[in-house]
Amino acid sequence: MISTTPMTQLFAVVLGKDRERVTEALLREGVMQFVSTLDVDLEEPDKLSPVESDVSLSDLSDLRKRVEGVLYTIGVVPRPPQEADLRDRASVNLEREGNRLDKLDAERQAVRERQRGIQQEILKLEDIKRQVSVYGLGLSGVKLDARHSVLAVQTGQLPASNVRRLDEGLHTMPALHMELGREGDRTHHLLISMKRDREQIAEILSSVGWSDIELSGEVLSAEADLLDELSGRLETLNTEQKTLQETVNELVKKEETHLRELWISLRVAELCSQIQTHFKSSSRTAVFAGWLPSSKKRRLVERLTEASDGRCYLEWHEADSAEIASEEIPVQFDNPKVLAPFQMLVCNFGVPKYGTIDPTPFVMPMYLIMFGLMFADVGQGLVLAALGALGVRSLRNNEAKKGLFHLSWLVVWCGVSAVVFGALLGSYFGMPLIKPLWFDFHGIVAGHGSGNSLISNIYDVLAITIYFGISVIFLGLVFNWINIIRTRRWMELIFDKGGLLGGWMYGGGIYIASYMIKHQYKEFPSGGVLMLLAGLPAILLFIKEPYHYYKHEHGRSDRKPNPAMVILDFLMKWIVELLEIFSGYLSNTLSFMRVAGLGIAHACLMISFFTLADMTSGVFSLLILVLGNVLVIGLEGLSAGIQALRLNYYEFFTKFFHGTGKLHTPISLSSQL
Amino acid sequence: MAGPLSKYALINAKLRARISKILPDEVFGQLAKAPSLDAALALLRDSVFADLEHIYAATGDLKSAELDLLKREIELYRGIRKHLHPGTKELVDALLAQFEIDNLKNAIRIYFDRKIRKRSVDDRTHYVLHEPIVHDLPMDAILNAEGFDEIAGLCGGTPYGAIVSKFSHTVETEGSLFRMEVALDHCYYSRLVEAINRLDRRDRDVAVRLIGVEIDLQNISWVIRLKSFYDLPLEAILTTIIPGGFHLSRSVIDELYQAQNVAATLQEFVAGKYPGLSALLAAETSSSAARLALVQRILAEIRKHEVQRILAGYPFSIGIILSYFVLKRDELQKIRMLLNAKQYGRQQERIESLL
Repeated sequence: MISTTPMTQLFAVVLGKDRERVTEALLREGVMQFVSTLDVDLEEPDKLSPVESDVSLSDLSDLRKRVEGVLYTIGVVPRPPQEADLRDRASVNLEREGNRLDKLDAERQAVRERQRGIQQEILKLEDIKRQVSVYGLGLSGVKLDARHSVLAVQTGQLPASNVRRLDEGLHTMPALHMELGREGDRTHHLLISMKRDREQIAEILSSVGWSDIELSGEVLSAEADLLDELSGRLETLNTEQKTLQETVNELVKKEETHLRELWISLRVAELCSQIQTHFKSSSRTAVFAGWLPSSKKRRLVERLTEASDGRCYLEWHEADSAEIASEEIPVQFDNPKVLAPFQMLVCNFGVPKYGTIDPTPFVMPMYLIMFGLMFADVGQGLVLAALGALGVRSLRNNEAKKGLFHLSWLVVWCGVSAVVFGALLGSYFGMPLIKPLWFDFHGIVAGHGSGNSLISNIYDVLAITIYFGISVIFLGLVFNWINIIRTRRWMELIFDKGGLLGGWMYGGGIYIASYMIKHQYKEFPSGGVLMLLAGLPAILLFIKEPYHYYKHEHGRSDRKPNPAMVILDFLMKWIVELLEIFSGYLSNTLSFMRVAGLGIAHACLMISFFTLADMTSGVFSLLILVLGNVLVIGLEGLSAGIQALRLNYYEFFTKFFHGTGKLHTPISLSSQL
Repeated sequence: MAGPLSKYALINAKLRARISKILPDEVFGQLAKAPSLDAALALLRDSVFADLEHIYAATGDLKSAELDLLKREIELYRGIRKHLHPGTKELVDALLAQFEIDNLKNAIRIYFDRKIRKRSVDDRTHYVLHEPIVHDLPMDAILNAEGFDEIAGLCGGTPYGAIVSKFSHTVETEGSLFRMEVALDHCYYSRLVEAINRLDRRDRDVAVRLIGVEIDLQNISWVIRLKSFYDLPLEAILTTIIPGGFHLSRSVIDELYQAQNVAATLQEFVAGKYPGLSALLAAETSSSAARLALVQRILAEIRKHEVQRILAGYPFSIGIILSYFVLKRDELQKIRMLLNAKQYGRQQERIESLL
């Protein structure tokens, strides 16, 4: 758990006839991250060629994406294939399925053409409706502002048998006609069109036998009817549009089961094909290589042997063998699920290099202690935990929002931490309801005393955070030494800023500082102690640059270096390095005082809200307290979360964690699309 | 007077967060590879563009979805405008005018096709925006106008009335809207430059450079298109050149005009002004289509380079706002292009060359 999962590299040779079954076994296990066989030392790599497949990966992928697109129109997002889908795998006839999909597309397209037509009709009527709403029709005796109205309104009669032709003629333009009454075989109509279309309208009207008539009295009240008519028609068209949308959806729904099955078959075939792109083949064999966690080795051997009936050659290379560079080895975390939110924080910074320490298990307690100290309140912590729990509940089945799900868990953990520290420091929504288990933080901030003889003022609180910071920095240094020892970089172990000399100087600095504090800043430790704690490591550090020079640069350049300049260069680098060590460690340590600072700010804010509430009474007082708590939960919660993260990233991680690793991404049934 | 921190701290944080949400290039690559329009829309399901699929499904009309994108882009400017100080607001208003001018140009084109070319335009009128953008232009009346004089009158009280009036005779004699549209574009850029000149020194320097480069790119694009597709003489092209460019001098324009291989000349220009980009432009091209694609790529790279320069620089300036607008416009243009390309079944290679 403290280090990344041990990995092993497999180089395998199987018979060509077993290739498919071996591929399925590899997919079923889903543990291999393939590498190019060129990376493996082969005797005659030129004799190997890529595996040829009957179906191309891009064809499979294209058809799968088409199916996915169609399913998405009815809101279906297919689930990843399961092991049973691989077992019952049927081959897909791409041509036949493509044709079937083309047919479905054509049917949907035909309906969509009708939808487009109706949409045009809707837009036309909306144009008219907008004009009528703005300018009216002038039918009620109110004169139109004709300068701006773009509508042409006319009444007339035409033979009833020609009404259909009128409809057809007006179909392509923004126009609306309404039957006002009948007289024998002639019908009276009100026609509204755009002035700009007057020439075309005139042609259509003349072709259907239209003759203009004067407005009769009853028509004068038609304006309201017309708006109703327009709204009615729009409603009808919108309903029709919805029906057509349903029709398109129905077409897909009829095929849904088949499409879901097809998608799964295609996805499985695509994954198999993806695996085989990493294979190389000779006339009778197939070769592949890849990384997997060592713990999965035994099971994979069994599966591959079973799939090839024992006709396979498997060669294993352990990750710690000298010929493999650790940068090439993929990294898999080995943390329990409970640490997932903290692993997310680590990954956000970077992936640890293979074989180095994974800080996740340490980030959890450190992050939560820092957060708890900054946001110590039982009530507010419970609110935070409840909010986080809500997030967890709503996101638990949402694969696409995995990050938010982990974030919700992090909020739950932060809430729990706030509750624990709230009980230790005696704060319940800012009130001292129960005696604190450790010391009264609010009491210290308000100047009332803490109820604890060891921690009695703000300086004691600051000291706690400084001690905490020193522990965190030392832990970071120890991790760095472990990482360096594992990779056998001995000179770095001694001379690096985060190496033994750096640690020696840091420890010495802490002793000297505490000695001075103990003696009221009036006395230094003795000269011998100073020499031992700070002088000696500083002098030893001077060896670093000359050593580096003679090891790596000396004699490599044609130009003979000036000895004085070389020595000056050593001196400059030594001084800069010393300054960096002193100032860096000092600022890193003092940086932890922010934990106390934010804790004090949290207490001060709550005290302020209580003071404000005391200045009023009744509902207002309660309102101030509620709003104050909401503000503190939102603002302080966010600040404490960010500051705890910052301290982990910049004061802890920078001591040992380079984040240059690459995540292990095997091809499995649940691989990301 | 407000300092840069109080003017830009909030909007800077807000826009940097929004920039992180802009679709990355790999999504556009996937969209280009999508085998159908449905598949492309499905790829957008977890993005802010998810509702494009709903609009398309409800109407069967991709243009309605595009209109929604345009409205959303305008709202974006308005939304940001709310958080700005008065001087900066003026600049955003000047930038908003580009949508108004494009909308007006669209309406005038519809009028021109209907009235002068006698073509049916009814299916195009619905995609004109009727809501006011900067000025309250009566778009219905413009679409239904009887002549340019009427349009000029309807645009009265805006800077566009005089332009329409001035170029109406040219349109009628030449049978083309080209000069009127160029004049409207000039109007946009001159008002933009005026707004930039009213900014304080730091903001002005940033804006002059970014907008200047935009003007350069627009000018380069015009020189190439007007020469290649319309074979206009240099003098005619010079009248279209927008003043206020940052790098593009008269000599470069001459050179671009005279060049047999525009891409090669542009490569020299880039090597001089943007040495960091020259490695990207080493591609040899033979066909004119590939050359044009290369030219577009060069221009896009220059724009991207300028935006990255601003984003990596001093954060509390107008630069973050302008960069966000450029990035967002590019994103929306790519979305529109890709969805249309999928709708009309364009080849993947062709689409990828346009990205």
